[in-house]
Amino acid sequence: MPDSNELVVDAQHLSRRFGNSVAVRDVSLQVRRGEIFGVLGPNGAGKSTALRMLCGVLDPTGGRAIVVGHDVAREPEQVKASIGYMTQSFSLYTDLTVAENIGFYASLYGLGGAERRRRIDHVLRESELDARAHQLAGELSGGWKQRLALVCATIHQPPLLFLDEPTAGVDPLSRREFWEQIHGLATAGTTIVVTTHYMDEAERCHRLAFIFHGEVFDSGRPDEIVARAGLSIAEFVVDDVDQATYLLQDMPGVEECAHYGHVLRLAVHGGAEAVADARARLERAGLALHDVRETRATVEDAFVAMVRRERRA
Amino acid sequence: MRRLLAVSLKELRQLRRDRLTLAMMISMPVSELLLLGYAINTDVRHIQTVVLDRDRSAASRRLVVQMQSTGYYDIVGDVENYADVARALRSGRATVGVVVPARFSSDLTRRRPTRVQLIVDGSDPQLLGTAIDTASGLAAARSAELATPGLPQTHARPTPAPLSFEPIILYNPEQRTAVYIVPGLIGVLLTMTMVMLTSMALTRERERGTLEALIVSPATRLEIVGGKIAPYIAIGYVQMSLVLLAGWWFFDVPTAGSVPLLYLLAALFIAAHLALGLLFSTVARTQQQAMQMSFFFLLPNILITGFVFPFESMPLAVQHLAQVLPLTHFLRVARRILLKGAHLEDMNAEVVWLAAIVAVFIVSAAVRFKKKLL
Repeated sequence: MPDSNELVVDAQHLSRRFGNSVAVRDVSLQVRRGEIFGVLGPNGAGKSTALRMLCGVLDPTGGRAIVVGHDVAREPEQVKASIGYMTQSFSLYTDLTVAENIGFYASLYGLGGAERRRRIDHVLRESELDARAHQLAGELSGGWKQRLALVCATIHQPPLLFLDEPTAGVDPLSRREFWEQIHGLATAGTTIVVTTHYMDEAERCHRLAFIFHGEVFDSGRPDEIVARAGLSIAEFVVDDVDQATYLLQDMPGVEECAHYGHVLRLAVHGGAEAVADARARLERAGLALHDVRETRATVEDAFVAMVRRERRA
Repeated sequence: MRRLLAVSLKELRQLRRDRLTLAMMISMPVSELLLLGYAINTDVRHIQTVVLDRDRSAASRRLVVQMQSTGYYDIVGDVENYADVARALRSGRATVGVVVPARFSSDLTRRRPTRVQLIVDGSDPQLLGTAIDTASGLAAARSAELATPGLPQTHARPTPAPLSFEPIILYNPEQRTAVYIVPGLIGVLLTMTMVMLTSMALTRERERGTLEALIVSPATRLEIVGGKIAPYIAIGYVQMSLVLLAGWWFFDVPTAGSVPLLYLLAALFIAAHLALGLLFSTVARTQQQAMQMSFFFLLPNILITGFVFPFESMPLAVQHLAQVLPLTHFLRVARRILLKGAHLEDMNAEVVWLAAIVAVFIVSAAVRFKKKLL
């Protein structure tokens, strides 16, 4: 957990409009040093626009942001020099080797001479990419590409790292390893801002912000966000899931009924009472109910509930 | 059949969404037809001609008027001496110099054979043929006319024609096509490589998502673009040197003028195309589109700049249009320097045109680039 109150990102009422449309509206975010900060939101919610403003490549049309001590609008060059940015597409040159990619990004971020050499050797060893140093980046598997992309984005040891959907198209094992590396970086003092679609990843962040239609809907620790959603989750193991869904879906307070094989997963407002109510409904209908398990709501549940509520409104 | 239709329909739908390709496919037939229709016309009229009249008589003036009235010679000026004729031909102000000898009038009256010199710029073989043939035709007609009042043809001794033209071919007198083509080839190659490589190089970065990483890096726009195009400038010069060397080695293409001057002026030409390549890269979304645009651009360069078909044979409107193509000017520069040994002052107009085109292209590329990079 972050142990400092030093703000690495301090965005106040950040807005960006393109012509008549507003991509980001009044976004305020504070990210502390050593924190892993997740930015969640559906596609087109304004995540990328917000990220670009924080990187100093897009001027805000309203509000201001101080990133690593520099105003993004007035000192974008200083901001750029002190951040790392890993794009969704990994931004690797597939026709360059692993070592050449790393070398290129090292030079791009101003490393030179013996320091550059030392740093490249170090990261190659540390990431275990040294055995593949002379392989073309395009020949690497998804997981290794991702690892290389992270190395390239952090070659200059930036105090702040932006990750834009860093695990898209990567196998589950690599994703886990990747998150271990992210946590390692955070422990060492790097602040990380990550956008993601994967809700299990969102839970691995220290704090989160939900962005929807260009606005921040909720932000805080994952457990706070989940608690605020006020959802209870129950899993009913039944033979006839379709029948069970039919019985429960129009019950008051139901957020979602989802099939998982022989399991009906119910997300409902109203706590234990609502769960008991649902169970009673199923039993009254005479359904073969093998088991009822209450589980903890996830960030995904909270997120889906929030987006649904917004769409209804 | 239904499946075939489904595939065709899908193809058409995709095509409709690819506006750039569609626009090119529609405009290609018409533009090619027009370009080719106007360009492939080797019947050269309006050959720019200077006159050195050493006789200054009514007869000499009549000859000049007759030449002009054929429609093939445009008299662009009178000059005082041979040096002026040479300068006019070297600088491209004229392609033909007519030298009417002193005593032209008196020779004609006394029925002594007289020879008018036709000094022709041989660096364009197609122009040369027309220039000489027309003049001989004219001489034959005049001679016949002069002969009529005299003795009947049957009694005439086989005398030399009273009036004849003596062609003197400057530059490339052996009329070798390679000599004419090679300097132009330098320009065509550079046009193709510079525009295509730069436009594709940048769209490739965008397509693969690496441009994003460059933008968020501390590298400035100038560093990114400059760094990207610098290798292509070097490639351009290597290509140019290869063509020059091969032309000299295999085809004995002369280098009459200053090669450093050619390399210097080539910088303007290369800059124009790099800027154009950048401009294309801001419009094209994929490398494929960038390539299509480059080919589309290459076509008029080959057809209407004077690379293959004589510039003078095209309608004036097309000639004006061709002025905006850098190759039109660079072709003249390359041919004049290599074949005629022209100096910088012989190419003022071309240099000004090139510089203006470079400025316009760079400004538009910079404006577009700034908007589209983010």
